[in-house]
Amino acid sequence: MREKATTLYLGPQHPGITGNMMIRLKVKGDTIVQATTEVGYLHRAFEKLAERRNWLQSFTLMCRFCVPEPDPVEESYARAVETLEGREVPERAKYIRVLVLELARIASYMLWYGGQAGSLGLYTIGQWSVGDRNYILDLFEELTGGRVYHMYIWPGGVRRDLPMGFEEKVLKTMDYLEKRLDDYEDLMFDNAIFRKRTIGVGIIDPEKAIEWGVVGPPLRGCGIQHDVRIDEPYEVYDQLDFEVPTEEGCDIWARANVRRREIRQSIRIIRQVIDKMPKGEFYNKIPNPHKWRLPKGDAYVRTEAVRGEVGMYIASDGSEHPRRVHFRGAAYVHAVTLLEDLLVGENVADVSAIMNSLGTCPPEIER
Amino acid sequence: MEERKKEIIQTITDHFKDAVSNPYDGNRVDFTIPKQQIPAILFYLKDEMGFNHLSHISCIDWLEDKQFELVYILWSYTDRVKVFVHTRVDREQPVMDNIDMIWRQANTYEREIREMYGIRFAGLEAPEEFLLEDWQGPPPMRRDFDTYAYAMKTFWDRQEARSNAQDVRETIRRRTGEELPDFAKKYSR
Amino acid sequence: MSFIDLKGTLKPLTALKQFGRKPHTLKEVPFVPLEAADRYRGFHYNDIEKCIGCGNCATICQNQAIDMVPVEGIEGHKGDSGLRPRIDHGRCCWCGLCVDVCPTSSLSLTKDYLYVSDDPDSFLWMPGVDNPDGKERKAFTGTPETSLNDFQRVPMPELEGMERVKSFAEVVLGYNEEQARAEASRCISCGLCTEACPDHMHIPEYINAIARGNDADAVRIIYDNNPLPEMCGKVCTRRCEEVCAIAHRGEPIAIRWLKRYATETARNADIIREIVNPEIKEPNGYKVGIIGAGPSGLTVAYYLALRGFDCTIYEANPKAGGMTMYGIPKYRFPEESLDKQIEYIQKIGVKIHFNTKVGKDIPFKEIYEKYDAVFIGVGFPKPWTLGVEGEDLEGSIQAVNFLYEINNGKQVDVGDKVIVIGGGNVAIDAARVSRRLGAEVTILYRRRVQDMPADWEEIEGAEQEGVHIIPQAIPVKFHGDEKGHVKAVEYLKAEMVPDEKGGRPRPVPIEGSNTIIEATAVLGAIGQQGDYSFLEGVFAERIKIERGRFVVNEKQQTSDPKVFAGGDAANRTADAISAIADGYRAVKGIEEMLVGTGKDV
Repeated sequence: MREKATTLYLGPQHPGITGNMMIRLKVKGDTIVQATTEVGYLHRAFEKLAERRNWLQSFTLMCRFCVPEPDPVEESYARAVETLEGREVPERAKYIRVLVLELARIASYMLWYGGQAGSLGLYTIGQWSVGDRNYILDLFEELTGGRVYHMYIWPGGVRRDLPMGFEEKVLKTMDYLEKRLDDYEDLMFDNAIFRKRTIGVGIIDPEKAIEWGVVGPPLRGCGIQHDVRIDEPYEVYDQLDFEVPTEEGCDIWARANVRRREIRQSIRIIRQVIDKMPKGEFYNKIPNPHKWRLPKGDAYVRTEAVRGEVGMYIASDGSEHPRRVHFRGAAYVHAVTLLEDLLVGENVADVSAIMNSLGTCPPEIER
Repeated sequence: MEERKKEIIQTITDHFKDAVSNPYDGNRVDFTIPKQQIPAILFYLKDEMGFNHLSHISCIDWLEDKQFELVYILWSYTDRVKVFVHTRVDREQPVMDNIDMIWRQANTYEREIREMYGIRFAGLEAPEEFLLEDWQGPPPMRRDFDTYAYAMKTFWDRQEARSNAQDVRETIRRRTGEELPDFAKKYSR
Repeated sequence: MSFIDLKGTLKPLTALKQFGRKPHTLKEVPFVPLEAADRYRGFHYNDIEKCIGCGNCATICQNQAIDMVPVEGIEGHKGDSGLRPRIDHGRCCWCGLCVDVCPTSSLSLTKDYLYVSDDPDSFLWMPGVDNPDGKERKAFTGTPETSLNDFQRVPMPELEGMERVKSFAEVVLGYNEEQARAEASRCISCGLCTEACPDHMHIPEYINAIARGNDADAVRIIYDNNPLPEMCGKVCTRRCEEVCAIAHRGEPIAIRWLKRYATETARNADIIREIVNPEIKEPNGYKVGIIGAGPSGLTVAYYLALRGFDCTIYEANPKAGGMTMYGIPKYRFPEESLDKQIEYIQKIGVKIHFNTKVGKDIPFKEIYEKYDAVFIGVGFPKPWTLGVEGEDLEGSIQAVNFLYEINNGKQVDVGDKVIVIGGGNVAIDAARVSRRLGAEVTILYRRRVQDMPADWEEIEGAEQEGVHIIPQAIPVKFHGDEKGHVKAVEYLKAEMVPDEKGGRPRPVPIEGSNTIIEATAVLGAIGQQGDYSFLEGVFAERIKIERGRFVVNEKQQTSDPKVFAGGDAANRTADAISAIADGYRAVKGIEEMLVGTGKDV
């Protein structure tokens, strides 16, 4: 029997995805035969705006590139500027940065928990994890003054030192979260529905993975152990002891398991950071920002965000303003070419689960 | 790593006579090459040298030079070395070779660069529109596109309520009767 | 996996154990919200009294959310623009950069973050004015450690103290290019300094030109209203630096040293002319006579010459420069530096008659009749005397005369124990010069060291060179030897008594505290006065003088419309930059009087 293909416009809202993007699907029955992503809902021209602003002003734009996990972008911008200028960062600042990055990683995974579970109809986990994420946001509020957009890691170090008694609060929160993670796992990974809906769904061909630029948990879900924190250690990751988990399934289940194990590694890193945190300066002061010129040249740094490798390319013409700020998002690679390929042959109902498992982040694609 | 870097530079400059190596510290290797040889050098780097991860493609508008600069940044998982490949494209006739058969994700990068800078990629198959919608103006990431003027024209500004704002320098200048010559004004903040 | 996954079906039911948990986003159930953190970035609060209206917050704001607007009850004055920030909370992104760039730390963010209104204009607030209670809720505040202002001045390379006293070599070595760029980059370009500068030089502009690496433009901007900038770059009293926004929590921008750096890049008069490349108007036929080639006279001559006037200066001394030539020692202001500037002014077409004292070599009347306008910039050549017993002994010299002789290349024998009396720059100069002549030097000053009117750096420099300062010492008698030469100074210690009228404390001598110190020479430096003996007959009446100074209007015009006056003989501030400012005003006054405002023409 010949089935007629129907065009289906999915989105721009998707459960558990921050930001908007649409996918135009050609379906036969409920099987997808062709997928085309349509972005363009969120283009805010941050990179163009950065060219009008000076090097410091641009830093406040960076956290807005990706809403659920703003810190790696901030960190990569700061580090790119430091690389280009040759500015030293105090050791304490590096530790604080890792602390912030790992807290942000956990916070972002908590949001992912909600999204991944929510996209499969398991709403309770989302309510828990987003609620527990608040504890981390409380920490951020205390440390940086902001809950979601921290604007804390800036060129030269960090903006403020740790407040009194912050370390204990972090450790307490970590202890609490570790216990809560068991609850999530009971509810999600031991759940028959979740298993049935994820195992064997959204399979990335491991042969193609590197060629297609797959990074982060999706790559590690294919059994390939690559992580920028290990491959090209930045800040103080080379002084910390942690594992990079991999899974073999190449499917949503494998990617979910990579993430589940990674949260625990992040907690492990945070405990080490608190333990090893040196005393001293937290900020190597930049010159007057209005007249701060960077030498002519360019720099590119990579950071491991929850979505995978992100990168920041900056170019300077020697003036007070960036000549070019170009952010490489993991979702930029995952959610356009890879997603379009991956969706073919899948079920319409699994689209948002697959998107979630790839770490789709439309604001990062459009910037 | 220094040895491996030297080896990479040697191999590339042997194979590509036009490739110029720019010295950098750390794990960065940097080449500049004419644009015609971009697909060849990228193919070579990927297939022969193990730079199998395309990390980034960026474009810079050098308006004063009447050129666009394209930067390809590759990463080798085995050597843990970054390679930057720079090339320049004429700004008046911006045409470039498509490389999405080497790395599929290059398709997205090229799509964006085409839209934002107006560089045509020969043989690129992708929908015309990417981030912009019904855009009639010039490619907006070009340096000669004035975002501020566009924003002022397009969006409503709260002119009236804020009209009593004053410039600090100007206020003081008026008060003291200082006469600022025109040629000095570009240095005011 | 079996068809019925028993574990997978039952495990989710563990969720039930969470039933009845207390929500943690509330402090208390049912509704007491949590307090924001101590660093929260909420609405702004501005300490209106502390704020100086520099507008740095408005400049750093990338969203143009901050306007600078006048506030009722706050008047602008030197060091305060009189404007205060107003935030458009609809645009603010709460990054807090405004807090971190605030030089006075008056701006902070508070714990408040809730405001609801359907009127967008009501989102415009003036922090501190519209939310005075924000003071109690301050959260994200600026500290010197986290500030983005650069509080540390690039140190000026100097000769070492004991090295200096060996010669008259210039003490301050000047910034090199890198140091100058770094120092210029500290400036936030607010322009508060321009109001404090008597001449209202275009300070933020030339500093910015230096910061951007364009020294030629800096020189051009500087010469726009100051024809002796290298002199100012070396010895200006720099009132500008007192009001510098950065000085509120750090060291002010080295405005003087930056001017010095820029002007020194032009090595000789021809290069200055090439860089400044001034437009010289066609001669307009008017002739102006100028008495005194000091800073004010030279300023008048230079700018009038550019405007097409025929200018002639009459100078009593063999060299031009006035006090800057004869009063300031060469280790502070080398002669070739002055010569270069005078040569440039002469190249523009200014004629200077040296060794021509008006009233002696040429009568004032002749000048008055010969020229269309006359400018008097004769300064204060006559020193005040102390009025103590023994002041006319040999070896008791007036510091100004002493400096004059030294600067004129003469030898002055002061012996090996010099006492300098006074606390101004002339006193310090005389002391430091005496050190260079090999004497041990003691300064007697009637008030405390912190009351000395001399530049702080000068006092410090003198101390480094081994000058001994005795504060609160009032000389009462000079003792002489049998040959009539001074041999000792007797002084009384003084105590500081607060002034009832609220003025600065007065020194009151302590009876019986007489102390005698040996001296081979005593240099008196307690101030100078004018000498207007050249104004004879009808002019003495026509040109009004009050309290030793010419009475002038805002155009520096005296009571005789044809005669203008400036410099020490007309203003009370008695420094070179005020003299230049007087000259610049007189230029406009003279031009207006003779050719009209330009609008009429």
